[in-house]
Amino acid sequence: MSSLARRVAGRRLNRIDGVGKVTGRHVYAADFSLPGMLFGKVLRSTEARARIVRLDVAKARALPGVRCILTASDLPALRFGTAVKDRAVLADGEVRFVGEAIAAVAATSLEIAEQAVRLIEIEYETLPAVFDPEQAIARGAPLVHEHWDRYAALPVFDRLGNMPGRCSMTHGDVEAAFASAYRIYEHRFSTQLVHPGYTEPRAAVASWDGNGDLVVWANTQLPFDMKNMLAEILDLPARKVRVIVPGIGGGFGGKLRVGVEHFAAWLARKSGRPVKVMTTSEEELLDAYPRQPTIVELKTGVSRDGRLVARKGRVIVDCGAYANSGPPTVAIALQVLAGPYRSANLALEGIAAYTNKGSTGSFRAPAGPMANFAVESQIDIIADDLGIDPLELRLRNVFREGDEGPAGEKVVGVSIEECLTKAADAIGWKDRKPSQGRGKGIACSWWLTTGGSSGVYVKINPEGTVSLVSGAVEIGTGALTGAAQILAEELAVDLTDIDVTDVDTEVAPFDHGAQGSRTAFSVGNACRIAAADLRRQIFAIAAQQWGVAPEDMVLQDKGVVLGNKRMSLAEVASLSQRSGGGLISHGTAIQPMPAHDPSRVKNHPLPAWTSPSFHAHATEVSVDQATGEITIERYVVVQDVGFAINPTYIEGQIEGGVAQGIGQALSEEIVYAEGRVLNANLTDYKMPTAMDAPRVDCILVEHPSINGPYGAKGVGEPPCIQPPAAIANAVAAATGVRVHALPITAEKIALALHGEEK
Amino acid sequence: MTRIALDLTINGELHQVMVELHWSLLQVLRGELGLVGTKENCLEAECGVCTVLLDGKAVNSCILLAHQCRGRSIVTIEGLGDPEHLHPLQAAFIECGAVQCGYCIPGMILTAKSFLDECRGRVPTEPEIREALSGTLCRCTGYQKIVDAVALAARRMEERHE
Repeated sequence: MSSLARRVAGRRLNRIDGVGKVTGRHVYAADFSLPGMLFGKVLRSTEARARIVRLDVAKARALPGVRCILTASDLPALRFGTAVKDRAVLADGEVRFVGEAIAAVAATSLEIAEQAVRLIEIEYETLPAVFDPEQAIARGAPLVHEHWDRYAALPVFDRLGNMPGRCSMTHGDVEAAFASAYRIYEHRFSTQLVHPGYTEPRAAVASWDGNGDLVVWANTQLPFDMKNMLAEILDLPARKVRVIVPGIGGGFGGKLRVGVEHFAAWLARKSGRPVKVMTTSEEELLDAYPRQPTIVELKTGVSRDGRLVARKGRVIVDCGAYANSGPPTVAIALQVLAGPYRSANLALEGIAAYTNKGSTGSFRAPAGPMANFAVESQIDIIADDLGIDPLELRLRNVFREGDEGPAGEKVVGVSIEECLTKAADAIGWKDRKPSQGRGKGIACSWWLTTGGSSGVYVKINPEGTVSLVSGAVEIGTGALTGAAQILAEELAVDLTDIDVTDVDTEVAPFDHGAQGSRTAFSVGNACRIAAADLRRQIFAIAAQQWGVAPEDMVLQDKGVVLGNKRMSLAEVASLSQRSGGGLISHGTAIQPMPAHDPSRVKNHPLPAWTSPSFHAHATEVSVDQATGEITIERYVVVQDVGFAINPTYIEGQIEGGVAQGIGQALSEEIVYAEGRVLNANLTDYKMPTAMDAPRVDCILVEHPSINGPYGAKGVGEPPCIQPPAAIANAVAAATGVRVHALPITAEKIALALHGEEK
Repeated sequence: MTRIALDLTINGELHQVMVELHWSLLQVLRGELGLVGTKENCLEAECGVCTVLLDGKAVNSCILLAHQCRGRSIVTIEGLGDPEHLHPLQAAFIECGAVQCGYCIPGMILTAKSFLDECRGRVPTEPEIREALSGTLCRCTGYQKIVDAVALAARRMEERHE
């Protein structure tokens, strides 16, 4: 079926939740409240590492309006975590970063709760801390977790001391290849701590019912993961925990894990009242799930004609005080270090490191921008040194269809050459001239479409409308509008005929969650399966009504058709309700992991990428020669989306992702000094505004994947991967200054251009 | 803590509320009146999601004391248009694909409304629109489709003006 023949999928239709959002009727978790609800507030550590020698809540408890105060001594001594169970709900005798939760208060108003937190008396005994990840993994460093070896952890991660995860990808013989290489390049790059920057704070309302069941309304991206995690934290069977997700005001990977839900749940349990907890901007910048700072060391050997013959690399991600997703993030970094290039010889190593700073998470394309900044900066350095056009050097080395990927898997659906060429054409690459203060840069990448399963229930109602119940959360991307477009296409109805319900873990089928560029892809596939089952049911009912065989029937224009016979879906649904239980189906989907060579990969949870996407970014910048200030004059993205389910919202993903990438490239950083955040507010944490974000030219390439609905590939994460590298390369072309450490601030450029004047 | 009685005109309706002197307008709108279309985030006038119209001008309701609004007219997103009768800005935001998570959108639309009213029927340039919206953070869209939506609404409102 060509895309022209499609009525719904592939069209620029309005999103299904738009009206509620523009009229203020769409209710977000932050807006949610219950009668009798209390407000929770958390006391946070002011020390980077210390023993708590005295904690006295008596004065706080005496404050009128305070209903409950919790410290570690009120809770079971258990630890939770995704990769490593290393974190307690409230610090149990020792704090490991400034901002760590120590006590939680519930009161009849937020103001009283805040006042009570200030009345809690605490004394610390300072302990040795470590803030630098390289120092943390060196011999003799103070252990962030003295008893790390007693923690439970997923077996895939190889842990030691301050390293909660180590992994590697190797093949060939890098040392031999280096020995015969024409030239060898060694560089070190670093990237900074950046916050996802969702505009809705993390929020949760928890309530316990008469059966001792917990209901939590929260803005989580992973409701099923949240359900299980809360059950663990509250020491309950999972059936006792129900998670409902009202609207969610952005996530970007920052709302995957337990944030405030556990505080709300414990406070509600102990107080016997519903409790709401919501973060402040300061709390977001002290204790959330930002992107890990990274140090990348990269050694690349090339032949005389610019073929990459060997690559050795080491990535260290700074997890902060708790591992969370640091171990899987550093594993994914290895594929970003390898691709999208052919490499005969690879030796890549990843290390996740504990330090006494805030914990980190899985911000959009975890590992992507960090590793890509290193790879794509170095490619330009090599091109410059060899006197080869950076575009040409890339084209000589990128994957071609069917090439072997880093884990020995066969890479298919490859379009990187087309992406690069189109990006270069769009930015006017061939016409670029050396000019003072103005330059063009290019960068490319590949990324996975994360697997994991999706289930949907689909029901056709007697009025002919369709209800889609999915366990996947709409975090704003439009992914569920996309999935609904696929469902509408398959059932021959309009997009406006489809209603999508909010996620409730009690009623929705399982979904692996809104993460990893997978929602439209995976839920879309599940919708196709569910629709196929509905078609069989519809045809069987029509066959019975018409007294004919069900063969050759089709769905068309909201009805079933056979020759000149026609019955509307509404009629079929009514008949089905009278004779059976109505038209209802269940669809499930999961992507298979490509076959690969396990001997190449150690301690890696995602050794071979599923349905990879390919992309190239090109930009033109101007740089003020006096101040070093960078202006993005043009920005082009060419992204292979496989099949564009809804081009409008795909452009939205690209434009928004580029703006986030530009924030990381130029202005954003959570700045730490000796374990303290210096800029825990939105005045000093500088995200791009409408005046900073450029217009982005989006060019969509549709090179189909094998597994996606109509050939679609994951879309959401890739756009934020290349901006740091593309901009760094353009800045180098404009000024001759190569910045190895993000962000590329005006100050760094000016200092490089004019030297340090004192 | 003592509360004072306060009359507030919100979306054309008179509301009588008991407020404490230090309460922000945002706190009263969301907490006392249940008008949660006005969003809450940074509480320091940096993000703009709490923007409402005060006597027609966009203000950050998080740093405005409720009692300062006595006798003045407040418009929140709930008062701009309803699902059956969208304001041209609301319609344009949907048509242009300017809405993603939507949390900044009420503030963004009211900021744009205040700005277009100041333009008095003149269609502003793109740099002017970008400057006008620069006090409201959006993390989803990269602003492009929001800027396009404001320009589209401005053109339509100009036609209506003529």
